[in-house]
Amino acid sequence: MRRSTAAAVGTLTGAALIVGVRLSVQPPSAPAAAPPSTSLVDNPAPEATAKKPAGTAGGAGKKTTEPEKNKSGLKDGTFKGKGATNPYGTVQVTLKIANGKITAVDATYPTTGNSATINPVAVPKLKQETLQAQSAKVAAVSGATYTSQSYQESLQAALDSAKA
Amino acid sequence: MGTAVSIELADDLPAARLGELIADVCRWLHEVDARFSTYQPESEVMRLRRGELTAADASEDLRHVLNACADLWRATDGYFDAYAGGPLDPSGYVKGWSVEVASARLAAAGSTNHYINAGGDIRMRGHHPDGGPWRVGIRHPWEADKLSWVLALTDGAIATSGTYERGDHVINPRTGKPAQGLRSVTVVGPDLSLADAYATAALAMGEPGLKWLAKIATDGYESAVVTDDGRAFSSANLPAAV
Repeated sequence: MRRSTAAAVGTLTGAALIVGVRLSVQPPSAPAAAPPSTSLVDNPAPEATAKKPAGTAGGAGKKTTEPEKNKSGLKDGTFKGKGATNPYGTVQVTLKIANGKITAVDATYPTTGNSATINPVAVPKLKQETLQAQSAKVAAVSGATYTSQSYQESLQAALDSAKA
Repeated sequence: MGTAVSIELADDLPAARLGELIADVCRWLHEVDARFSTYQPESEVMRLRRGELTAADASEDLRHVLNACADLWRATDGYFDAYAGGPLDPSGYVKGWSVEVASARLAAAGSTNHYINAGGDIRMRGHHPDGGPWRVGIRHPWEADKLSWVLALTDGAIATSGTYERGDHVINPRTGKPAQGLRSVTVVGPDLSLADAYATAALAMGEPGLKWLAKIATDGYESAVVTDDGRAFSSANLPAAV
């Protein structure tokens, strides 16, 4: 026997993927909220100041008038911008400059409480493409949760009955 | 409310053994239903709701579920919320998790080539009987008999949340209104319990969910999205079949 297949219709819980309803949501209760270790990534550090060139605010690096070396006019070092605060939290940009070139840009942003979603992060965007409508041969189909009834009409059901 | 579960085992094992493995998966899924369903008055979840059981005295599984829901609440900026409807309802996590566990059990019992599809959320391992990866279609959000993407995976999970099947059942917790903007969100990654929760959360976010999905791609969770107005988006490393 090379393989076996089975399709079963059960009453698995969890069909109702209801998210939200209330605005005044309490954080999940007891055991959940207990561990204080909330942050997923780094915490915003709004109080941090520029490391080397103290007082040179601004996340975009600093143009100096130093006549020597770097054509770009950018001083080597690590520069932290002044934290920019909006209602969703504080964003602070850090630039690393080596040999007059920007070698790294990093931003801290809030990841808990209010807003990892709203503050854009320096990550690649999803790429836009053309929506396909194809009929390829597949072993299984992923789709929005269907009821037992709509399962009967689904592509997955057709696959299952073809194998049964 | 029932969910259809399809199981395919592609291991070279005796038929009787395959039958046992499938029976074991079904037993586990029914056990999960009995213990966690909000439709069963005597489930652990309902006893916890009524205060007959404290979280501290709950089973290890339930404590895991509660902690995972809390982590997801934070990870999704509150868009995945087991308390959204008022009393605790961890169903949105339990489904993916129970299938994730079922697949791990199968692997431990010797089935290293299989998939389990619970209502469109799939966990797979190993290879298709023909020796290639598992090819999984993502349902087209308007044409039920068509696919919008075809993916190829050996080990991993695919979960899709959409508004096309059951209407406005996903609520944006920030507005209290049905989620708008995205018609279908598919998340692909190593763990089905997370992929499923992420897909639901992104759907609730609406179009800002596109940015959020780009962020979780850096954690190994790829995505494919169709907006209400028919635009399609995918993350850079979505495992599209060739």
